Amino acid sequence: MADVAHSVGILTQIRLVAGLRWRILRNSLRKKNSRLDLLGLILLGALSGIFVLGMCFAFYAGAYTFLSGDRPGRIALLFWGIFLFWQTFPIFVAGFGASFEFRTLLRFPLSRGAFYIIALAYGLADFSAIASVCWLISMTLGATVANPGVLPLMFLIVAVFLLLNVTLERLIGSWMERLLSRRRTRELFFALFILSMVSLNFLNPAVNRYSASLRPLAHRLIPYLAWLPPSLAGKAVAAAAQFHGAEVFVGLAGLLLYGAVFTVFLWSRFAAQYRGEELSETAAPAPVVVRSTARKEDAPDRLSGLSPQVAAVVRKEFRYLTRNPVTLFTLFVPPILVLFFSFQFAGRHTTISGRPVSSEMFFPGMMAYLILILMAPAYNCFAYEGRGMQTYFMVPLRFREVFLGKNLMLAFVLAVEIGLTLTMLAWRVGLPSPPMLVGTLAAIIFTVVGQLVIANWSSVNFPRKLEFGQLRGQRQSGMAVLIAFASQLLLGGISAVILFSGRWTGNSWLPAEAFAFLAAAAVGGYFASLDHLTRLAEAKKEVLLEALCR
Amino acid sequence: MLEIAIQTQKLSRKFGNLTAVDGIDLQVAAGQFFGFLGPNGAGKSTTIKMLTGLLAPTSGAMELLGLDFAAHPVNVKRQIGVVPEGMGLFERLTGAEYLQFVGQMYGLDRATTQRRADELLEFMQLADRPKTLIADYSHGMQKKLALAAAVIHGPRILFLDEPFEGVDALAAGALKALLGRMAERGTTIFLTSHVLEIVERLCSHVAIIHKGRLVAQGSLEELRAGIPGEADSKTTLEQIFLSIVGQDGAERPQLEELSWLM
Repeated sequence: MADVAHSVGILTQIRLVAGLRWRILRNSLRKKNSRLDLLGLILLGALSGIFVLGMCFAFYAGAYTFLSGDRPGRIALLFWGIFLFWQTFPIFVAGFGASFEFRTLLRFPLSRGAFYIIALAYGLADFSAIASVCWLISMTLGATVANPGVLPLMFLIVAVFLLLNVTLERLIGSWMERLLSRRRTRELFFALFILSMVSLNFLNPAVNRYSASLRPLAHRLIPYLAWLPPSLAGKAVAAAAQFHGAEVFVGLAGLLLYGAVFTVFLWSRFAAQYRGEELSETAAPAPVVVRSTARKEDAPDRLSGLSPQVAAVVRKEFRYLTRNPVTLFTLFVPPILVLFFSFQFAGRHTTISGRPVSSEMFFPGMMAYLILILMAPAYNCFAYEGRGMQTYFMVPLRFREVFLGKNLMLAFVLAVEIGLTLTMLAWRVGLPSPPMLVGTLAAIIFTVVGQLVIANWSSVNFPRKLEFGQLRGQRQSGMAVLIAFASQLLLGGISAVILFSGRWTGNSWLPAEAFAFLAAAAVGGYFASLDHLTRLAEAKKEVLLEALCR
Repeated sequence: MLEIAIQTQKLSRKFGNLTAVDGIDLQVAAGQFFGFLGPNGAGKSTTIKMLTGLLAPTSGAMELLGLDFAAHPVNVKRQIGVVPEGMGLFERLTGAEYLQFVGQMYGLDRATTQRRADELLEFMQLADRPKTLIADYSHGMQKKLALAAAVIHGPRILFLDEPFEGVDALAAGALKALLGRMAERGTTIFLTSHVLEIVERLCSHVAIIHKGRLVAQGSLEELRAGIPGEADSKTTLEQIFLSIVGQDGAERPQLEELSWLM
C-alpha cells in the first residue's frame, strides 16, 4: 500500500515549487551557453533597470508634488499609468513571460489553494509586475515624505491595488490563453489585434484634428472613469491626505470589491485548469479527400533557379512564415507604424510639430527603423525548427544551403516590406533626392547583408527554441539579443555617419558611392562567411540539437 | 566476399567524464537486417547518432558503404535514411509538404518527389489527412511519416531508432513487411528496439552494447553458441540478452529492496 497518509501543506508545496524553479535555474547554468545567456540577461536587466529606476524618480516626484500641493486627487494619474502599464505590457511584449509551465505540476497532489497561489505568485515575476511594484513603492515614499500621516492608509491602498493588479493580469492572461488555444479564434484575435494597433496609432492624429468636438465627449466620459480601480485608489489616497475618512472607506471598499470580483473569476478559471481543462486542439476528423486532377508537379517551378535544397528550405520557410501569427504580426506592424510616423512627423500635415521633417532625413530614418524591426528574428533563425533541426544534419547538404534558403526568404520579405514602405512614403512624404534614394538603398544592402553574417553566427552559437505561434512565455537568448543590439547599433552608426558625410563635404553622391562599395564588400564577405558558418554549424551541431530538439 | 555496409573502428564518444560509447568495432554486411540492442543508457542512440552524422565521435573511425564518414559526409548521407530518436520532423508542415521537403533535400526532382510522397502516404495510411499539420498527428502517425521520409530517396542503409514504438499492430505489420522486402532487395537495415521479439523475428544479425562496450556480435546462432550453459535453437533472444547483459548479478533489480511497495 502506498504511503499517502500525510497531506502536504500549502506552504510546503509553494516552498517545493520555488525550490524546483531554483534547481532548474541552477542546473541550467552548468552549460556555457546558459551562463552567457544569463550574462546577456543581466546586461539587458541593467538597461531595463535604468528605465525602471528613472521612472521610480518620476513617480516619487509626482506623488510628492501632488500630495504637497493643493491637487492631491491628481495622484490618480500615477495609479492610471501603473495600471495601464501592468495590464497591457505583458500582452504586447512577449519576451518577459515566465517560461515555466506551472500546469505541469497538476499531476502531483497539489491542493487547489496552492495551485492558485503559485499561479498568482508567477504573475509577480513578470517584468511589468516588478517594475510596477517598484513604482508603487516610490509613490508611497513620495507621498509619505510630502505627508507622513498618509503612510498607513497609503500602504494599505497600495497593497490592495497591487493584489488587484496581479489578479487582473493573471485573469487576462488566462482568458487570452484560452482564447488563443483554438486556431480560428487565434486568427480572429490576430486580426482584431492588428486593427486595434492601427486604430491606436491613428488615434492621436484624429484627436488633434477633432479635439474641439471631442472635448465635450471626453468630459462626459471622465466621471465614469472615476469608478475604475486607478481612480478609486487615487481618490482614497487624496482623501487620506485630507483626513476624509468616508471617502477613504469608499475608495478602499471599491478596490476590495474589484479585487473580490477578479478573484472569483480567476479562481473559476484556475479551478477549470485544476480539473484538467484541455485547451489544445485535437486533430479534426478526416475530411473527404477530393484529389485535384491537375497535379502539382505540372505547375511551373518558380524557384527553378535555385538548387533543390535551397528551394526546399525557401518553401519551408514560406510555409512556416504564413502559419505563424507571431511572425506575421511582425511583418504587418512596421509599414503601419511607418505610415503612422509619417502622419506624426512628416508630410504637409504633421500632428506633432508644425515643421515637418524633410523627406531627405525621414526616408533613411524609416528604412533604418524597418530594418531594425525586421532583422531582429534573424539573430535566432532556428527558433521555430524544433526537432526538424535534426533533418538538416541527416540529409546530404552543406549547411550553407540552409543559411542561403533562410536568408533568401528574409531578403524577399524585406524587399516586399521596403517596396511597400517606399510606395507609402512616396505618397505621404515624397521621395528624397536621387543621391539620397540610391545611397539609402545601397545602405540597406550593406546593413542587411552585413547583419546576416553576424545573425547567422549568432543563430548557431546562441540558439533558443521558441514555441510556434505563441506570444507569451517566449524568451530569446540574452546573448543573441545583445549581439543584435550591438551590431544594429554599430552598422546603424556607420551608416548614419556616412549619410551625413554627404552634407558635411557638400558632395551629395559621396554616401551613395561609399555605400555601393560597402554593399559590394558586404556581399562578398557574406558568401565568404558561408563556408566558415557551415564548419561552425557542424562543430556546434550538438549545441543546436540540444537547444532546439527538446 | 561480403560487401561491408557499416564498419567502425574503436568508435568512442565521451560526454565530459562519461564515456557513452567506448571503442566499439562494428561490422554489418550489406543487405543485413541488423539489430542493435542494449539496456537503457548503454549507448545505442549515441552510436546511431554518430553513424548518421548527428553526433561527432570523440575518437575512432567509421566507414559506410566503403566511404569514410568524416571525409565524405554528404556522399554518405545521400545513401542512408534515418528515423532518429525524436523523429526530427518539422511539425508545422503537413505530411505531404514534409515528404516533398525531404525528397528535394535528397536532390530528387519535384515530380519524382511528389509521386513517391503520394505513394508513401497512401501506404502509411496518412493520405486521408492532407491538410493536417504534423503537430496534430498522433505519435504513431508521426513515426510512420518519419519512416516514409527516411525511405523516400531509396536509401542503401536505413537506420531506425525504435521504429515501432507507438505504432499500432496493423501498421506495424505493414512496416515489417516493407522493411523485410527492402532487406531482401539489398538494403541494409540497422535497427534498435527494446522489443526483443521484434528484433528476433526480423533481424538476421545482432549486436549487444552494454555500458558503452560491444559485448556480443553475430548471427542469432552464433550468439546462442556463445552463451554459457545449454543453449539450443529454442533459446530466445531475450534469454540470450539477459544472459549476456545480466551476467553480473548486481545488474538485476532486486525486488526485495522494494518491500514497502508490496
